Amino acid sequence: MKSLPTGIFIPGDSPIHRLDSSIKLLALFITVVTIVLVNSFLGYVIMILFIMMIAMLSGISLPVALNATNKLYWFFIIILLMNTFFYSPEDAWFSFWVFTPSMTGFTYGLTVVLRVFLALVISNILTSTTPPMEITHALEHLISPFSYVGIPTGQIAMILSIAIQFIPTLAEETDTIRKAQMTRGARFDSKKITQKAEAVLPMVIPIFLAAFKRADELSVAMEARGYRGVSGRTKKSSRPLLVGDYGALLIVLLVCLLQIALRLINLTRTY
Amino acid sequence: MQEMSVVKKSIFTAVCLALCVVLPQAFHAVPNAGSVYLPMHIPVLLCGLICGWQYGLLCGLAGPALSTLFTGMPPVAILPVMMIECAVYGLMTGLMIKIIRTKKTYVDLYLSLIIAMLSGRVVAGLARALIFAPGNTTLATWTASYFVVSLPGIIIQLLLIPSIVFALMKAGLIPMRYPQNGS
Repeated sequence: MKSLPTGIFIPGDSPIHRLDSSIKLLALFITVVTIVLVNSFLGYVIMILFIMMIAMLSGISLPVALNATNKLYWFFIIILLMNTFFYSPEDAWFSFWVFTPSMTGFTYGLTVVLRVFLALVISNILTSTTPPMEITHALEHLISPFSYVGIPTGQIAMILSIAIQFIPTLAEETDTIRKAQMTRGARFDSKKITQKAEAVLPMVIPIFLAAFKRADELSVAMEARGYRGVSGRTKKSSRPLLVGDYGALLIVLLVCLLQIALRLINLTRTY
Repeated sequence: MQEMSVVKKSIFTAVCLALCVVLPQAFHAVPNAGSVYLPMHIPVLLCGLICGWQYGLLCGLAGPALSTLFTGMPPVAILPVMMIECAVYGLMTGLMIKIIRTKKTYVDLYLSLIIAMLSGRVVAGLARALIFAPGNTTLATWTASYFVVSLPGIIIQLLLIPSIVFALMKAGLIPMRYPQNGS
């Protein structure tokens, strides 16, 4: 649980920090779609260089940028091995029992791993350079057109912002409960899976009770202070979009268009 | 359930959303816990039962997305199917608990849970078969991944969720469903 603060906001004054949060969220969405569109070696090189450039501009260190991927090395290795050994029996190097390792499978596995890796790094850069409240405001701003069809976008944004703020608190609470269970003999470090599961399960009800108790206290406090929903609620007016915001969005769109063009041309196709 | 205020429902939904991120992390000590013990489903099902279908639907849609954003799990590749599956869980528990009234809280909870769990799995299977993995989804793979592998998770959900609801009722955090029976 101690490693949870992946993507936690790191204050700074970099060009990425200064961008409008709605633009950043929109750019993140376009970048993730672009990552999925890539299907050539050149395309991946461009995306890696592009994301490296964003990471450098954001001023966050490499370990922080890669923080989100730290826990997933085993996942990446398993995906790579499974694709290499099972993906393509047709052009296998050799066949042994159910294993049919092939270059096609290896390439496909590498592609999946690279896509997930790049999407995680870029998401992590967004959350590291944008305060949670700004992400919520950006989300509210981006989904605001749905309010015309009766969807309470303000309320949804409020729920999401409270959820994001609750994550570290509940993680801490879970850690406390875990330690309390350990003093009672729970064996989280056991090598036996059944013992680990037996240790984890009794934590669930106390976690829920603690979480709902906090939620109850917060709702009582909000109601006591006169909060009756988001309708009619005022908020700090956001700054107008600057040239830099439009420029950043334009660059992301250009990269996306370049990838679409590469896909259409099918230049140096990987698979 | 008796009516709770909109503010309280919103905050409870926010907590369930946060638990969609935190609870799977607590289970991380157990290998492959996500697909076996289904920890993310518990807050979604609970949210639908306690707050209603709109809130359950939101929790089901946003919970997996938030978890992917903060922890990288579930991976982006399976996120859409998981969002659909969880959204149906939240939606159906909320709808069923509103419709089913047998005067016995446990019966209401179990019927709502079972219907929601079945419909979520059916919709997720259909989504895989028709949209996300057409041609690769068979009845056998669907049964294996949604019922056999996750059997411990299903049992845990059926045991834990009604107990959590009762614990919350006894703690006075949510209203009694049938106050005249004391349950």
